[in-house]
Amino acid sequence: MAEYRSIRVERGAGGFGGPLVITPTAQRNKVMYITGGGAEPECLQKIVELTGLTPVNGFKTNCPEEELALVIIDCGGTLRCGIYPKKRIPTINVMPVGKSGPMAQFITEDIYVSAVTSAQVSPADGSAAPAPAPAPAAQSDKPKFSADSKVSETLARQENKSIITVIGLGAGKVVNTFYQAARDAIQTCITTLLPFMAFVSMLIGIINGSGFGNAFASILTPLAGNIFGLVALGVVCSIPGLSALLGPGAVIAQIVGTLVGAEIGKGNIAPQLALPALFAINCQGACDFIPVGLGLAEAETETIEVGVVSVMYSRFLTGWLRVLLAYAASFGLYA
Amino acid sequence: MDFIVNLASGFMNLFTLGGEQFMIWVTGIIPTIVMLLVLMNAIMAIAGEATVSRIAKVCTGNPILRYAVLPFVSAFMLGNPMALSIGKFMPEFYKPAYYASATYHCHTNNGIFPHINASELFIWLGIANGITALGLDTAPLAVRYLLVGIVANFISGWSTEFTTRFVEKQQGVTLSREFKIAK
Repeated sequence: MAEYRSIRVERGAGGFGGPLVITPTAQRNKVMYITGGGAEPECLQKIVELTGLTPVNGFKTNCPEEELALVIIDCGGTLRCGIYPKKRIPTINVMPVGKSGPMAQFITEDIYVSAVTSAQVSPADGSAAPAPAPAPAAQSDKPKFSADSKVSETLARQENKSIITVIGLGAGKVVNTFYQAARDAIQTCITTLLPFMAFVSMLIGIINGSGFGNAFASILTPLAGNIFGLVALGVVCSIPGLSALLGPGAVIAQIVGTLVGAEIGKGNIAPQLALPALFAINCQGACDFIPVGLGLAEAETETIEVGVVSVMYSRFLTGWLRVLLAYAASFGLYA
Repeated sequence: MDFIVNLASGFMNLFTLGGEQFMIWVTGIIPTIVMLLVLMNAIMAIAGEATVSRIAKVCTGNPILRYAVLPFVSAFMLGNPMALSIGKFMPEFYKPAYYASATYHCHTNNGIFPHINASELFIWLGIANGITALGLDTAPLAVRYLLVGIVANFISGWSTEFTTRFVEKQQGVTLSREFKIAK
């Protein structure tokens, strides 16, 4: 009777898994949807048109698992989204939900795809895309003829979805989106932020605890008396590697800043030099924080490896320039 | 014997201090950044990948936006270190450069807007105290700090693109120049 075609389903915005290629067979020829209390998911129509599968509403009827080519769910991340992947039945989740819930380990990219709308559904054979185009038109009436009465009843009900259903579905989608967003945020914390914080914290403890910080601050302060000293201070502070040791919590910069401020207050350093001094004492700014900071930007490990070295280099290359720029801009200040 | 005891307690002190720093970050940074991440992830999920990529492309399209405008606005709105999280809207290749610029923006604007980086305020305040001690107004210094900062931070950010390219060659990797949503 029906002629079946494969489709390709990709993950949507914020989704997980896929792309799945769904190939119906004469035996596996049903698509079951278990969504929003029996409401038809937005992508169903297109899937039915493209594949020729028979839609089955999982809330109204049941269907032997051997006949299922595909299941569509709108699970926010609890039990349902793992059940069918566990049975190795291809599963589409219209919610942007990744691996979660008690069956998270069964949710894998080869059997599950989420955040799917009709835009993510396409014919499997890309090259043949123009050819099947007329077919869906002919096929579009098909469910009306082949579907069993219960499904058509459901479809009929869909035409005038009550406002309660609409609100319910809408609220559910919003809640689920935020829930998933929160899960991703926590995941980022655990996999990226906390490890880098731990590692950088340990370095900071060693630098501060060993007295290296204070010793270095007292060496640097005398340099602040003239512009040449300030440029030298900027260059020394930004030497790659040393800059990472001087960075922690901006402690050294703050100590040097306070010491230089005291000298300015005593009249030993001209107030005009305060501006270049602000730049000179902070040339190493944030060199200790690079892995954490790039983690905040959700950078990949590769980027962090490159970034740590790259930022240290650029600090070294531009540090003296910043001091000179500030010096040039300081003329007329407190004159 | 005392020597050994001192050595041991000194050794442990290094890690106690490290642990304190870790705790400060976990309690000070993590809660806020998680809330921000939730909102940003949700906005990205609702707006959709195409829209986010388009906006990111507009905001990061040229160096002036990337290293002068965007980090300035982020630093003002989000402060240190949350401003750095805006880097997620950049292609991987530009993230180090954005970081280089944004971290400086969290300092140079601190004279006028102390809320940006309250915990590291003494870089500014230490020196500004000297000016106050002389009986002078610190406002002109703060304004020049900010203005010079915008130019200098832009240079620092942009030049990081070149060092990133250099390090890429050194390490034999190529970072993506195209924006994609981190997964």
